[in-house]
Amino acid sequence: MNDGTKSPARGQPWAVYEPSDAEPWNLCRVVHLHRRAGFSATWRELRRDLKDGPKASVDRVLAGTSRADGVPENFAEMAALLAESARDPERLKAWWVYRMLFGPDALTERLALMWHNHFATSIAKVREAATMRRQNELFRTLGRKRFGELLHGVVRDPALLVWLDAPANRKGHPNENLARELMELFTLGIGNYGEADVKESARALTGWTVADDTFKEDPARHDDGDKSILGRAGRWKGGDLVKALLDHPATARRLAWRLGQEFLGEGAADAAGMKMLADGLRERDLDVGWGVETVLRSRAFFAETNLRTRVSGPTEFVVGAARALETFDAPPSTLVLADWCARLGQDLFQPPNVGGWPGGREWVAAPTMIGRANFAAALVGGRLGRGGAALDPAALATRHGRGGGLGDTVGFFDELLTGGSGSRERVLAALGTLAANDPATVRRAVVLILASPEMQLN
Amino acid sequence: MFSRRDFLKTSSLIALAPTVPGFLARAARAAQPDRDARVLVVVQLDGGNDGVNTVVPFADEGYAKYRKTLRLGRERLVKVNAEVGLHPALGGFGKLLEDGRLAVVQGVGYPNPNRSHFESMAIWHSARFDPEERNGLGWLGRGLDAAIARADGSPAAVFVGGGQMPAALRGRRSTASGLTRPEDFLLAPEAKAAPGKRGEDANDGLAAFVRRCALDGYAAADRMAEVARAADASAVYPTTELAGQLRLVARLIKGGVGTRVYYVRQPGYDTHAGQLGAHFGLLNELSGGVKAFLDDLTAAKLAERVTVLAFSEFGRTVKENGSAGTDHGTAGPVFLAGPGVKAGLVGKAPSLLDLDPKHGDLRMSLDFRRVYATVLTDWLGLAADVALGGPFDKLPLFRA
Repeated sequence: MNDGTKSPARGQPWAVYEPSDAEPWNLCRVVHLHRRAGFSATWRELRRDLKDGPKASVDRVLAGTSRADGVPENFAEMAALLAESARDPERLKAWWVYRMLFGPDALTERLALMWHNHFATSIAKVREAATMRRQNELFRTLGRKRFGELLHGVVRDPALLVWLDAPANRKGHPNENLARELMELFTLGIGNYGEADVKESARALTGWTVADDTFKEDPARHDDGDKSILGRAGRWKGGDLVKALLDHPATARRLAWRLGQEFLGEGAADAAGMKMLADGLRERDLDVGWGVETVLRSRAFFAETNLRTRVSGPTEFVVGAARALETFDAPPSTLVLADWCARLGQDLFQPPNVGGWPGGREWVAAPTMIGRANFAAALVGGRLGRGGAALDPAALATRHGRGGGLGDTVGFFDELLTGGSGSRERVLAALGTLAANDPATVRRAVVLILASPEMQLN
Repeated sequence: MFSRRDFLKTSSLIALAPTVPGFLARAARAAQPDRDARVLVVVQLDGGNDGVNTVVPFADEGYAKYRKTLRLGRERLVKVNAEVGLHPALGGFGKLLEDGRLAVVQGVGYPNPNRSHFESMAIWHSARFDPEERNGLGWLGRGLDAAIARADGSPAAVFVGGGQMPAALRGRRSTASGLTRPEDFLLAPEAKAAPGKRGEDANDGLAAFVRRCALDGYAAADRMAEVARAADASAVYPTTELAGQLRLVARLIKGGVGTRVYYVRQPGYDTHAGQLGAHFGLLNELSGGVKAFLDDLTAAKLAERVTVLAFSEFGRTVKENGSAGTDHGTAGPVFLAGPGVKAGLVGKAPSLLDLDPKHGDLRMSLDFRRVYATVLTDWLGLAADVALGGPFDKLPLFRA
């Protein structure tokens, strides 16, 4: 943990960020905002936000109106069509990638991804794509409400109930799977309950099952006896348990931790800062929307120590690259993009286990770095399905008034993709002194930037 | 363009040692190739394997008492002795036992068992009970940190399979790589270039870490890809995912890669409901894959160098749960396979009639860290104390 001595965010990490000489509102921070809270942005969007300042920029991110490019007019219709045809895992994954890449509201999709990780459910066991998609819609519609609304919804969600064997948990035959993960992963976190609490909670949840693909509470299967959970005796029912878990202070701490994991880099907030965030959530009835807004506007979020200190997840990386390079006219196949997310370690709708993807440094390993470089080469080379032609990033730079010479072109892509990490010089050196500012060279430059270690951090 | 060979040739390499990838620096220092070194292949049974129905204590009266729908008839078991038999799907293991190539360590666990998948797996991975002491490092990673470098620049450990790198392999200096398919190591030509500057921002932890991973990946890429794609048409493997992964491990060993530890995972052991059929399939995949792997290496005259270790984060409840499944339990068996092991049963089977009153499940008969200590010292020739955070008595698991 960072002791915060270097950071001006010390003391009041959640105060609203105001640009200063030390921490100015610059392109690096605009790119930072969009890589952390969305899936990167186009040059036009970046320039607009640079001009309008942090308040207007974060307002737009929160309102889901930040995307000025690439959102098709008939997006809602198309998304609905794709949803309907998503009857197998591959098309289900492609549907979500379509939403992330083309939808107007990047933050909501990012939060859906965060909740998918928090309530990690896998189609490998649930089987039904439509059931998984309904769960995913829950993350989208309730993802910024009070956590109680989301939790009450998710614990009654058929996909989650099947995933955690709730239908097998009945009076006299308790199955601990749901009870344990509800406490350990979804609310309290390890160390805040005992084994006896798990056993008794499993009894409280007996009778919760799925019939005709909908939640059902079956009184005949419910164990109506006395139970003692977290030090309180009574004839607990499943709903009582969820309420008690929501009231527990450890749940606010876990929620703050989850928001930090999604939006903050290594050492961006210390223990005291995280406690303040948890306290704030608790005072506001675990209002996730408040938590998200507080973090995204905060000094901690825009502090120097929070820039490029978080490993970009595979899906953020894949979708972000496609978006920043404006691959909208002849877009890559979303089926292939989803497959790349899986190859880089994040198989959507199929997390490794109920703990989700641990993220952070675990995303990075030698072969993943090769994988990310290979994705970059395939994207830029137009080898992501639909028989596409290679991208023409040189033309993109020219269109945005850059591209006066190779140095300027490479600088443009360094700024667009990483906010200006300084990879420009190294890429130019790799291209060699004789390299011309031609389409093939510029393609190679973009691949090298996307594959660079700096690009893997946001 | 950056090539490993050129890089190794440059005399400035040693001068740059603190910032070049660990294995390259050590490779440059090491004198001899390391192709005869022993290899450990870990098979992680994810989800908590039901040990009671794996090494079945049919003579224990508690077996019939606690297992109603899940009871396996004695006549169907793979014969071991008068007290226990192997699950009927473990025919391959039965043959290995007959040939003297399988050791079954019974009742392996640790004090105060934790029934969380993640905590218990973290304990097995790190050999540490206090999360504060783990530092994200694993027992194999710590053990390999102290190992002599591999002369060919190959990673110390390789994880074969999708998903996250198991924490067991993470070391301070030793490098671990992962791959799902041979072509994962082929770097696209457009992307070939030095992935970063070296010798800067020594205090920039995360950035330096990412750069090191990139350097390691690129440096190992060509060679690993070549080896992983080598033909092995004569080998016969079942068409399961685990067998495919073990086959890739065999190719790497046959290709002369100097990696000491390989790691694969077999998911699916969290059998809370309808266990009978699922468990049969899992053990069948395990036993068939390991048997084929050892046979392949025997034919290549390499089996003597290889030991397979199979473990799970915990066993399952002795009592079934009413949905024809079992919940998270405590101790369970660990398997060691290969010509180097001292075959047979090790340790005593935990009694089903004398459960631990504290948690109502199996008492452990052996601490897993004793198995680790034996594997590290007697098989891999590595120091165990630092890796495990203290000394542990060894077990008679390997031939002298």
